[in-house]
Amino acid sequence: MIRFIILFGFMYLLFHLHATGDISKYINMRYAYLTFIMIFIFAFMSIYQLIKWNMQGKKDNKEEHHHHHGHDHSHDENTVWKKFLVYGLLLLPLITGIFLPIATLNSNIVKAKGFHFAEIDNDKDPYANHGILRPNTRLYYSADAYEKMSVSDRKKYDSGNSLTLNDGNYLRGLETVYNFPGDFTNKTISMRGFAYHGDATSKKQLFLFRFGIIHCIADAGVFGMMLNFPEAVNYKNDDWLQVQGTMSTTFYQPFQQTIPVLNVTKWKIIKAPKDPYVYRPY
Amino acid sequence: MVQSFLQLNSIFISLVIEAVPFIVVGVFISAIIQIFITEEMIAKFIPKNRFFSILLGTCMGSLFPACECGIVPITEGLVRKKVPLHAAIAFMLTGPIINPIVIFATYVAFGNSWEMVIRRCSLAIVVAFIVGLLISYLFNDDQLREFLNKKAQKAQSQANKKKHHHHHHDHEHIHSMTAMEKVKEMIDHALDEFFSVGKFLVIGAFIAASMQVFVKTSTLSLLGHTTATSILVMMLLAFLLSLCSEADAFIASSFRGTFATGSLTAFLVFGAMVDIKNLIMMLSTFKKRFVFTLIGSITVVVFIGSLFGSLFL
Repeated sequence: MIRFIILFGFMYLLFHLHATGDISKYINMRYAYLTFIMIFIFAFMSIYQLIKWNMQGKKDNKEEHHHHHGHDHSHDENTVWKKFLVYGLLLLPLITGIFLPIATLNSNIVKAKGFHFAEIDNDKDPYANHGILRPNTRLYYSADAYEKMSVSDRKKYDSGNSLTLNDGNYLRGLETVYNFPGDFTNKTISMRGFAYHGDATSKKQLFLFRFGIIHCIADAGVFGMMLNFPEAVNYKNDDWLQVQGTMSTTFYQPFQQTIPVLNVTKWKIIKAPKDPYVYRPY
Repeated sequence: MVQSFLQLNSIFISLVIEAVPFIVVGVFISAIIQIFITEEMIAKFIPKNRFFSILLGTCMGSLFPACECGIVPITEGLVRKKVPLHAAIAFMLTGPIINPIVIFATYVAFGNSWEMVIRRCSLAIVVAFIVGLLISYLFNDDQLREFLNKKAQKAQSQANKKKHHHHHHDHEHIHSMTAMEKVKEMIDHALDEFFSVGKFLVIGAFIAASMQVFVKTSTLSLLGHTTATSILVMMLLAFLLSLCSEADAFIASSFRGTFATGSLTAFLVFGAMVDIKNLIMMLSTFKKRFVFTLIGSITVVVFIGSLFGSLFL
């Protein structure tokens, strides 16, 4: 019976996540078909288990008077606590998954996950991670294929005088900006994300980030830009902002390198979007 | 604190959700092997020579698009069908790396370039071959298989001793079973396996999620000053993060500013072979001494291999 509950629970959890759309807070929707198929497989397995349990119950009733029973019973007694452990463990993700609220990755994770600006501040360390602001795919040694891709991206995002980074083009667009900062200098970029204070930034500076998800939120990373405000601002970590500004570059001491910076002209605080993450579409 | 716990829970759930489809595919393949493939078939198929059987295992890995946790039950199924341990291990080590999905992901993550794909795959093959060879000399086959059988039975019997007894009984009459009965038997087997493997996935995912929330991995990247230490750091990071082999290439590519190609190769190869999730699952299948010897030799070979790679290639 407990097996049926677990299988049914898995089916219910996945069904629930798909029905409410919350599945996007756990995994990249590109892979959602996998969990969607799993709903049916778990449905099948739980029905199978139910029928089997039912038939076993009947059989056990018939065999009750045979010597078999006593033998099996002693086994069951020995393993009661083990069963409790095994099935309890499998019930755990079901219970916490269904009943606990879904947490959103935020600055807390930025700190914990290691891409921590405080550490990068120790500028004696040339190995400190500064890959963080620059999304993925640039290879040190240039590859023709990559050039082709990024050039087509470059054309796509580089047309016109402004670039709006939205949920769909956030990662690829940002990547293009980091690859060809020169192309975007003095152009208008608008984007949104949550605020994150690096330790070294002044009152006028902060970072605007979003979590990018490749497969599931366990492999999420932060991507974003540094912002320069014309006046001191007092936003807390995780405040969501919609900003617009012109791009320039600056030498950022903690990273020991020149990075793009957005000189913000218009900004407002916004509510955290329904879908806080951006996804890597390949 | 509450927030950290909820985030831990979310990462934990997401790891479980992500891995469950692969686990289910894994237990079904394992069940198919168990029911439909006989030991005689395996005996005919697998060469007697250890070199060739390891080579075959390495190649077979590329046929199964399984990730590193889904492949453990499959390997267990193979070993129980008397596939030589070294061949099964070679299969287990290459399976998560040399398959179309992972190759494609690696290709894309590193800017549509083949270089990283080639480095990753060739190191994986070298590691699988050397480790397989080492295993074949270090562990006496028969002894281990006997033990594995016992251990497998024990793990299963935790869930239902009674039913497993019947299984063995049925196996003797497997040829006289109808197709329908065989399918039924297969589903039974897959379900048993799901419950015995599932709990280890849960433990592993929970530990991995805790690592992500509570351990500052940034401190790790500060340690990687020389080529050798940075390779070790990336291997440790791969172990702690427990990423699926389909996603780890993207994470590795975000480290490009920080770590050299050799360290990234180590990350991609080691992480797909050993991590917290699959260590717990291997411990559920294999003897402790064996698992630690296996991990020890993988560690040494990956380290030397990527050091060699970054110095000379």
